[in-house]
Amino acid sequence: MAAPGSCALWSYCGRGWSRAMRGCQLLGLRSSWPGDLLSARLLSQEKRAAETHFGFETVSEEEKGGKGSSDSPAPTTRVAGITVYQVFESVAKKYDVMNDMMSLGIHRVWKDLLLWKMHPLPGTQLLDVAGGTGDIAFRFLNYVQSQHQRKQKRQLRAQQNLSWEEIAKEYQNEEDSLGGSRVVVCDINKEMLKVGKQKALAQGYRAGLAWVLGDAEELPFDDDKFDIYTIAFGIRNVTHIDQALQEAHRVLKPGGRFLCLEFSQVNNPLISRLYDLYSFQVIPVLGEVIAGDWKSYQYLVESIRRFPSQEEFKDMIEDAGFHKVTYESLTSGIVAIHSGFKL
Amino acid sequence: MATLLRPVLRRLCGLPGLQRPAAEMPLRARSDGAGPLYSHHLPTSPLQKGLLAAGSAAMALYNPYRHDMVAVLGETTGHRTLKVLRDQMRRDPEGAQILQERPRISTSTLDLGKLQSLPEGSLGREYLRFLDVNGHCFPYDTRAPTRFVDDEELAYVIQRYREVHDMLHTLLGMPTNILGEIVVKWFEAVQTGLPMCILGAFFGPIRLGAQSLQVLVSELIPWAVQNGRRAPCVLNLYYERRWEQSLRALREELGITAPPMHVQGLA
Repeated sequence: MAAPGSCALWSYCGRGWSRAMRGCQLLGLRSSWPGDLLSARLLSQEKRAAETHFGFETVSEEEKGGKGSSDSPAPTTRVAGITVYQVFESVAKKYDVMNDMMSLGIHRVWKDLLLWKMHPLPGTQLLDVAGGTGDIAFRFLNYVQSQHQRKQKRQLRAQQNLSWEEIAKEYQNEEDSLGGSRVVVCDINKEMLKVGKQKALAQGYRAGLAWVLGDAEELPFDDDKFDIYTIAFGIRNVTHIDQALQEAHRVLKPGGRFLCLEFSQVNNPLISRLYDLYSFQVIPVLGEVIAGDWKSYQYLVESIRRFPSQEEFKDMIEDAGFHKVTYESLTSGIVAIHSGFKL
Repeated sequence: MATLLRPVLRRLCGLPGLQRPAAEMPLRARSDGAGPLYSHHLPTSPLQKGLLAAGSAAMALYNPYRHDMVAVLGETTGHRTLKVLRDQMRRDPEGAQILQERPRISTSTLDLGKLQSLPEGSLGREYLRFLDVNGHCFPYDTRAPTRFVDDEELAYVIQRYREVHDMLHTLLGMPTNILGEIVVKWFEAVQTGLPMCILGAFFGPIRLGAQSLQVLVSELIPWAVQNGRRAPCVLNLYYERRWEQSLRALREELGITAPPMHVQGLA
């Protein structure tokens, strides 16, 4: 990493975090902050802002998800923090490396299992929400591509007495190597989408892929549009999970499937203790050493603890109107795949 | 019927996910029992400090441009040494003043215009020239604040040490290339005894070529060590009050001799 580059990135991260922390501290409930400032702030609001969780800090809802941007005026006058957005803005470039480091590569297996469970048929329209760097989308494309190739081979084998020219023409005339399948990657964060697009370019994914900037609580799509909706490691960052679930229900076609891969509650007490130890002691350190960002990874492990258990989340999915909701815990419950259908 | 009642029941019980009993929620690592002691403070357990020290040392070696890793290494390994430094600062009159008044070197506190107007050969002017020649990263505020030191005064001491680092370059006449940095590290290692300086002094030369290494070992290091031992602790100097002082006079006061040879970069 060239010196000016890392200097700029570091200063950007530092500035971004100091701004976020200032924003957090204005309304945060840190004991070291003067209490009068906090109470004055609360009283000045007409209706009490509903509180949500940001890791283990309780912040107002505007703060958690409010979409500010770097081109807004002086940070000191801005009230609503950009905390979750800024977290992912600063981790975007190192996101994949950190995932590998933190999960020791196991996250790849989890995502493969999600695809395996999905078992998409040819012609599937997939919406991958919070899919920033494109892991699920690329796996989907690989799957449908190889599926299509197998189908093609089968077809050709079934036809008897074809000349070499005819077979070659079959392959050449192939316009759509995906069999009609399409994937739309939707993410609220520009930086994550940028990284995803760069990856797609580097790995050669061109066809059947679309990148959309959008909010999971208010998707920019019409009703009844997609066959499958996936959200992998994204829903715990959403401020109103129930709204995101309702949106999922809306954009799915009747018969469509909802799939969610997310961190969940560990069911084994021994593994739970080891997991806690690893999460709280090692992961922020990894974040600091590899990505230069302690706070984002502290947020990560705390947001995992706050997320509802498998059963509770299943209930929430059912509330949104899905049927046949099931879940499958992986790696002793460290992650779980929830699945539901819109009927 | 059950499906209709469920959301009602849930609303009565509060939002799901926030109803976990307090005993179940693991706390953030707080080995000392206290919360943050100063702004930017991140309380860390001994295990975390150990992991950070090891990780930052490895990363600093792997990628020498990660200055933040060197800083983290200093913070996590320097607790005992910082105490010694702080006590020694307290005993010195100028050092005690620094501890009390807590001056900071940053764009907001430095009057660059005034420094520019000072006569040639003064500390302020030479310092400014050093920054220009070496194309330093303006503004200084990119020097990350202390985070992992679990004492507020010691956090200031290490912050002061970092901000004084550029002064040392000026005093010793060393540029900011690898060779210059290593020489300054040796000087600092002898002066402060910080583990990070000692590690940097010994491991820094790994990346040097044979010729530079030879010059370093035969001439520059002995010179740096000699000066380091002879000079009083450089953290005790209130630089902000000495801008007008002539650099040569200051060097004489500290007993710093001219470098044995001209290290390329700084005039």
